[in-house]
Amino acid sequence: IILHNYILTLFTFQLGHFPLKYFTSFFVSHMYLHSPRAGAKPRFTDAAVQDVLSRITGLDLQKVFRPIKQELKPPTYKLMTDEQLEQAIQVATEEAKKQLQMPPVLPERKPINDVLAVDKILDGMDTAKYVFTDITYNIPHRERFIVVREPDGTLRKATWEERDRFVQVYFPKQGRKLTPHVLFKEENLKTVFSQDRHEDVLNLCLVQFEPDSADYIRVHEATYEDLEKNGKYNLLRSTRHFGGLAWYLVNARRVDGLIVDMLRRDMLQDAISLVSLFYMVHPHSESAQEAAGQQATGTDLLKVRTTQSGYIDLALQAYEEKAAEGSAS
Amino acid sequence: MAAYVLNISRIFSRELISASFQFYRYRSCLQRLPAVKPPPLSALFTHQFGSSAACWQEAEVQAAQTADRYKQRPWDYLDSEEYVERYGSSAVWAGYRRNHKGGIPPQKTRKTCIRGDKICGNPCPICRDPNIIVHHQNVKLLQQFISPHTGMVYDPTLTGVCMKQQKKLNEAINKARDDGLLPFQIPHVDFSGEDYSNTHDAVGLTSPPPLLSPSEPWYKWYGEISPDDKKVDQVKKIYKAYLKH
Repeated sequence: IILHNYILTLFTFQLGHFPLKYFTSFFVSHMYLHSPRAGAKPRFTDAAVQDVLSRITGLDLQKVFRPIKQELKPPTYKLMTDEQLEQAIQVATEEAKKQLQMPPVLPERKPINDVLAVDKILDGMDTAKYVFTDITYNIPHRERFIVVREPDGTLRKATWEERDRFVQVYFPKQGRKLTPHVLFKEENLKTVFSQDRHEDVLNLCLVQFEPDSADYIRVHEATYEDLEKNGKYNLLRSTRHFGGLAWYLVNARRVDGLIVDMLRRDMLQDAISLVSLFYMVHPHSESAQEAAGQQATGTDLLKVRTTQSGYIDLALQAYEEKAAEGSAS
Repeated sequence: MAAYVLNISRIFSRELISASFQFYRYRSCLQRLPAVKPPPLSALFTHQFGSSAACWQEAEVQAAQTADRYKQRPWDYLDSEEYVERYGSSAVWAGYRRNHKGGIPPQKTRKTCIRGDKICGNPCPICRDPNIIVHHQNVKLLQQFISPHTGMVYDPTLTGVCMKQQKKLNEAINKARDDGLLPFQIPHVDFSGEDYSNTHDAVGLTSPPPLLSPSEPWYKWYGEISPDDKKVDQVKKIYKAYLKH
């Protein structure tokens, strides 16, 4: 991935006349995109998938830059011409795209069970475990050696939970606690979901847990399930979590609720992109094969899907009626 | 028994003050009353066997019940009529004025309003009303002490609470934020530029060295050294208390 970026930077320097704006957007948004392998199942990091997901997420500047509770300063007023206003909006859009960067979706990490040595001579010498952490500053946390000497003399590598705890002790990250918030237990999650604070829960989860830990995946799944059950998809629109939600629903084959919600809010293009993503991920399903057979594009893609469930049929009819009324009046 | 009766009478006197709506305007006078010593024991005993015994006992029982009720569920008080009558829609600390010399108040409020059984003159907004209990589930009360614009807890010089109650408030607010009852601003996490492949030896499997079989010791001299019996006995004698057998 690092090599990929170096090639990009060389390319832009040679050309010379690329404006700085394009250079920065290249550097930031294409950090971990991969090109798709032929015939394999599309992954979250594929360029096409990321493109679709970012389009579905939308970009509501009013929601991304809503006022947050922080130390208040007196407001500043600027007098701008129309061109300056457009430039300012463009700068704001770039900043919003950076903020809407999707957090990674990874499979659960495999536990570490590696014994380095067994020294029977140390058996019973002490009653407590000793943890030895390498605190060199310049190495990434995933390359840091953390080993544990048990009281019975075994020297083993620390488990993932122990690793997270000790890295937080020596290199504290802002917002992360040593013991996770009580909020992440099942009962408390229900209270928070009833207050419609799903975005807060997901942001806190991003801060507290590593992306491949079991807790992270469990909290995300619980949030997505609750959102899907109550149909509150709009809470996550224009946030960085919408891509993850859409990906989870597509993999679980439960996109119907989301499509109906999109059609109700008159987002036909988004619905079409979502359905095309579904066919990309599940090319062997019935509707995908039908669509491929008919070479369907646009609204026809949705109509192919309606053979599976009646709700989308009704929603599509309602949307078309509204569109007809709108064009007639 | 005597101490129990004294305590009940003290609680009753406090409850009478807070529950008497017609004396609402004379709050400043009333705040002095909790410091008044209860009537002497002999008077109490004679009252118990007197004609007003029945209504005194009922009032005492009621007072004890209300104090217990708010102890179990402190958030009920903020929905009750007494609260609305006393504070209306403004905060608990609105209208409270500290007594100090000069124009600039001391930068720290008093250490505590209640020392043992005595309450000071002009107690702070939380201590003057015994029904207000600082609890992490009492979200409505806690939110009165957090600025709605900046999300920061108000300074005690602004609200007038004593330092002991301020400390309890801070703890309750932190616990409420931890439990998810109070919302707060969460920092933004940047995920770019991190490698999640987990291929490094630190987190993956370190293969054993090819020359050693699993049963052989790591260092060759582990097996070759045989300890000197006399020296072993000496060491065992020194550390006799720590040996397993």
